[in-house]
Amino acid sequence: MILKNKTISRRRFLRGAGAAVSLPCLNLMSPRSASGSELPRTIQRAAFFYVPNGVVQSAWHLQSTGADFALSETLQPLTSVKKHISVFSGLDRIKVSGTDGHAQASTCWLSSAAPDELSPAGYPLKRTIDQLIADQIGQSTPFRSLELSCNPYRDNRESVYFDNISWYGHGHVAKSMRDPRKVFERLFQVKEHRQHASVLDLVQEDARSLVNDLGREDQQKLKEYMESVRTVELQIQRVHRKQDSINRLKLQSPIEPWFELDRDEYIQLMGDLMILAFQTDMTRVASLMVAPERWGAPQIVQGLFDKPIVHHSMTHGQGDPKIQADLAKLDRYHIEQFRVLVEKMSQIKEGDSTLLDQSMFLFGSGLSSGKTHVYSDLPIVIAGKAGGMIQTNFHRREEKGTPVANLWVSLLQAMGAETKRLGDSTGNVALTS
Amino acid sequence: MIYLQHFYFTIFVLLATLNSAVFAQERKPRLPVPINGVYEGEFHFQYSKPARVQSMRSFGNGWSNDAHLLWDGKIGESCHLRFYVPAKSRYQVLIQLTKAPDYGRFRLLMDDKKISEIDLYSNRVALADLIKLGEFDLSQGLHQLRLELIDSHPKAKPFREKGRFLMGLDSLQLIDQNPKKVESSIRPPRAASRWAWTDLKSFVRNSCVRCHGTDKQEAELDLTSLQSVNDFAADLKLTQKIVSALRQREMPPEDEPQPGAESRQQAILFLSDLIDDQLQESSRLPVVVMRRLNRLEYNNAVVDLLSLRSDLYPLPERVIRAGFPYFQPSLGFLPDQVRIGNRALGKNQIEQKLLQGVVPFAMDLQAEHGFNNRGRELSISPLMLETFLKLARSIVDSPNFADYCQDYVTLFQLEIPRNLSEADRLKLVTMKAKSRLQILLFRAFRRPIDAATLDRYVRFFRDRYAESQSFSHSMKSVVAAILASPKFLFIVETAQRDQKYAPLNDFELASRLSFFLWSSIPDQTLLELAESGKLSDPAVLEAQVHNMLLSPKSKSLSENFARQWLRLDQLITSVPDDQRFAKYYSRIGCEYWKFGLQMMVEPLLLFESVMVEDSSIMDLIDSSYAYRSDELQSWYRDKIPFNDKSIVNRFNTNQQQFLRRKLPSRREGGVITSAAVMTMTSSPLRTSPITRGAWVAGVILNQPPPPPPDAVPEIEADDDVIEAKGLTLRQRLKQHQINPSCASCHAKIDPLGFVLENYDAVGRWRDQYRSGLKINTSGKLFGEHEFKDIVEFKKVLVEHPEIFTRAFSEHLLSYALGRKLDVSDKPAVNKIVRNVIADRGRFSRVVSEVVRSFPFRHKANHRQ
Repeated sequence: MILKNKTISRRRFLRGAGAAVSLPCLNLMSPRSASGSELPRTIQRAAFFYVPNGVVQSAWHLQSTGADFALSETLQPLTSVKKHISVFSGLDRIKVSGTDGHAQASTCWLSSAAPDELSPAGYPLKRTIDQLIADQIGQSTPFRSLELSCNPYRDNRESVYFDNISWYGHGHVAKSMRDPRKVFERLFQVKEHRQHASVLDLVQEDARSLVNDLGREDQQKLKEYMESVRTVELQIQRVHRKQDSINRLKLQSPIEPWFELDRDEYIQLMGDLMILAFQTDMTRVASLMVAPERWGAPQIVQGLFDKPIVHHSMTHGQGDPKIQADLAKLDRYHIEQFRVLVEKMSQIKEGDSTLLDQSMFLFGSGLSSGKTHVYSDLPIVIAGKAGGMIQTNFHRREEKGTPVANLWVSLLQAMGAETKRLGDSTGNVALTS
Repeated sequence: MIYLQHFYFTIFVLLATLNSAVFAQERKPRLPVPINGVYEGEFHFQYSKPARVQSMRSFGNGWSNDAHLLWDGKIGESCHLRFYVPAKSRYQVLIQLTKAPDYGRFRLLMDDKKISEIDLYSNRVALADLIKLGEFDLSQGLHQLRLELIDSHPKAKPFREKGRFLMGLDSLQLIDQNPKKVESSIRPPRAASRWAWTDLKSFVRNSCVRCHGTDKQEAELDLTSLQSVNDFAADLKLTQKIVSALRQREMPPEDEPQPGAESRQQAILFLSDLIDDQLQESSRLPVVVMRRLNRLEYNNAVVDLLSLRSDLYPLPERVIRAGFPYFQPSLGFLPDQVRIGNRALGKNQIEQKLLQGVVPFAMDLQAEHGFNNRGRELSISPLMLETFLKLARSIVDSPNFADYCQDYVTLFQLEIPRNLSEADRLKLVTMKAKSRLQILLFRAFRRPIDAATLDRYVRFFRDRYAESQSFSHSMKSVVAAILASPKFLFIVETAQRDQKYAPLNDFELASRLSFFLWSSIPDQTLLELAESGKLSDPAVLEAQVHNMLLSPKSKSLSENFARQWLRLDQLITSVPDDQRFAKYYSRIGCEYWKFGLQMMVEPLLLFESVMVEDSSIMDLIDSSYAYRSDELQSWYRDKIPFNDKSIVNRFNTNQQQFLRRKLPSRREGGVITSAAVMTMTSSPLRTSPITRGAWVAGVILNQPPPPPPDAVPEIEADDDVIEAKGLTLRQRLKQHQINPSCASCHAKIDPLGFVLENYDAVGRWRDQYRSGLKINTSGKLFGEHEFKDIVEFKKVLVEHPEIFTRAFSEHLLSYALGRKLDVSDKPAVNKIVRNVIADRGRFSRVVSEVVRSFPFRHKANHRQ
């Protein structure tokens, strides 16, 4: 299980159904037949692709703005999908001192809570926007959201704050899944468990009988439990309704253990699962961490570096031009992984449109540079139009110091929320010109 | 204070070549202390074969703990039972035996003096009458009860062969005729400060405000804003920080004018007094948030609840995997040889048989400076709940569940007479289910079950029975539901609303105890003590802690506490460079294995030996022995380890014989200098003194450094490159520290890392760097205690046991509570440290002091 010699590709996965993009009989899975109710005009999706430890700023930085902007060195791999993307620069998050810079970067990225909104753990942490978006568009699908992580490490070196970008609220993590097989089984192989439904009734009663005996913070914990009970109840009903059409797809579950996959296979597999979940309308909101923050342990990136690398250490060694070049290579590698997924989404037809056009697929990091742990000028690329709400092929540079929360507010609004303020936001970021 | 140096181990390690069984006799067995004088047959005695424990569940109720001690022999033979009397006194002695058709007539002797004769024949298996044996003067220490088989009742049937009969002992009870009051621990008076507020004010003005004042606010701190005692009292965290900075001589910085020693001491005392007074007045006990069981706890809880024969799923948390149960605290020692493997890293390890088809949930991640049992960080998301539902179902549905569940018959099976009417059948089945659930729910939820809850589960059973018409199927559904209930999954303590804090009730205390020491639910003894309201009695509590530590279940302190405390998981992902440290890897087939799998075991076995032998926790810093395999010994000792074998099968990746070995020098021994810790705190090509220093600061001193500042310069990854410039790593790091804001932290961390520079990146000793450059390991601890190398560093720690004792006690208390400690826990920690040091650092004293501490026995009002 350690440093295995690899001779053949291990991506014997999802093969039965072909790649996600060429899934047969997808019409069966259209939301109309699944829910039986009237189709909304567009079905929006939101997805987040998270890269830890920031990027090499000099290679990321874009020279020109507007519609005719030129891609930077790191963004070169996006050439083929440039017409589908928009880039945002100049957006900041305020850092709260006293807690770890990396943990705060990932944990607070999507909530961008104001510095004074501290949770007991010391992080300004609130409900993240993927969950707020799920409150809008994730109410009719079997799963309200999907949290994935390509965390390759098998130790538990870092705390929960380094490993998750999606939170229901303070201390209530929407825990990410690392094992593609488990993701697959959860989404597509849900056996009927009518018994679960009766168990849920029973344990809900237990929870209710407890609630008055508890202190304030314990009640909060119990409330989280009860919310989960309700979510799972709905999930069971909805999965049950879709079970037949899912079975007809004859999807095959992965065979290799995830930790034996090459990096690119692992990332693409998780990405495929996410896309498949969108296609089949199992969920409309997802997040994918390409790796956890910091985790100062070596990982192997096959085909890119001969030796195991420690991403975090590299970010601090950027002073050395050779290391900086390697790091920029890794950034491009991540962009390339993103590009492949974007392309797949762009090839999936949904009526007159494509899955990508209906989606908002955001690439970003909670740190702008891992070298200095700064949160200013965060790297952000959005692929897709979110059903016409976002103008693509555009680079927008915001005024220095604009909170990233302004973009989050705009994205929430694009997804149908009436949110006016979020975290430390001061207004909006225009999504179209 | 100077600790006695391991004289005990030295003796026996010298003789280690002899058969270890010889030494087993020389070492004192540790016998459990009885609760209220009751000695359980199956638990409190030292006995030898053919005596054995027999479960009495199938014979009806009445036997305490549902078990007794069973013995058989020929006429003329005796059953010898040794037991421990904790205090000299006169005792009334009572005995509870079992009687049955094949039981004999016995003569009872106490310390070889004849007491009486008893006939245990009965035409059915039942409890005999409780017999008073009279009053005895018993000294403190071991005593022997002997039961000699003299003959048998004429009607008695022999057991297996002619002249062989049985004896069963349920319990022996000693009632103290002259009870003494439990001694309370006396608090030594503390030197009080002689200073007044004005003295402190001028101290701050003279020594602090140049950098922390109106002109300059280093660390964003302006001390001139503190205008009165009340201002200090209002910000205890800051006051505590000031005390620590003064005590550890971090402040004023070395290059600033220093206050006199007496002034510094008085300032520390003045502020410490202020803190303690303030704390006593406000008693702001932090809230322990209701927490969910983690993976190991869930496993243990289910195994104990259903009496399963083994674990539910593979648990890398149990790093050490042994075929033979070597961890037997009641023996009083850890065997000299243990044959074990490593579950977390090892290959083809002895896999215990597991329940088929049961899939675990993910391991919870540790808190940044703590453990993975903190309520605030453990929640149940929809995904988690789904997992728990499926997991519970998969346990009872497992194809080999019936084989694994030792209570299967009594819990899941029911003989139903054939000729019953439908209505009678339902009535019978419901009644049986109800009586079984009453007990099961009590154990599962660890508290009395109210009628509404019981009804709810009985109704659930009836609904399932109506669907399936199968008793066992319906009971399984109920059990699966119990395992998903918040009352099972969370450790619940009820709200306290009247005062700021209140004592835990006995059931809550039982749960805190069992999750602390066993990572599992309370056993029957704890629940019975809680039910009778006796558990919170200090003497009972003390005895329970003692007994719980004697149970093999206390191994979870090693698996759950020590593994996390030492952060040993980090070794799993360490990858020393495969050329420079080629010996770290072994190839088997096309797979590469790391030597870390043997390293990881060493500090854990040391911890377990300290636990089981109840020696000083200072042995964790500086032990005279270590458990090592031959290959691990070669790693430490040989210039080229493993006889320079090539990479193929270079070292064994399966089980290994670990031997207890005497260490020749203080360079070795204790956890800090273990190859495991040295390797996991290094980078691939070289050591990483900052990482090592941070590890020592966090783990050994419990003073984790604050998160690093924004811009952290990284230096060369390869020490060859550094040394080529004629610089040592230490000189290079010094050169790199341009930013003065880094200096105060690094002054604290760096010496703790540099002192370990004699150990290379894979934990092997070196006298100099590869290039021949000299290694400089000298430094100061807290800017006060000088050391020139690791031996002196260990000496400093051993000679100032309060440093490590405090850190270790804090880690253990935090683990026991499932929360972060804060400044208001300081008085409690002070008390633990005082008493542990007075008891020469005995391991069990740390545990019992944690249990006795105020925060462990109380709960806070959430609304304060």
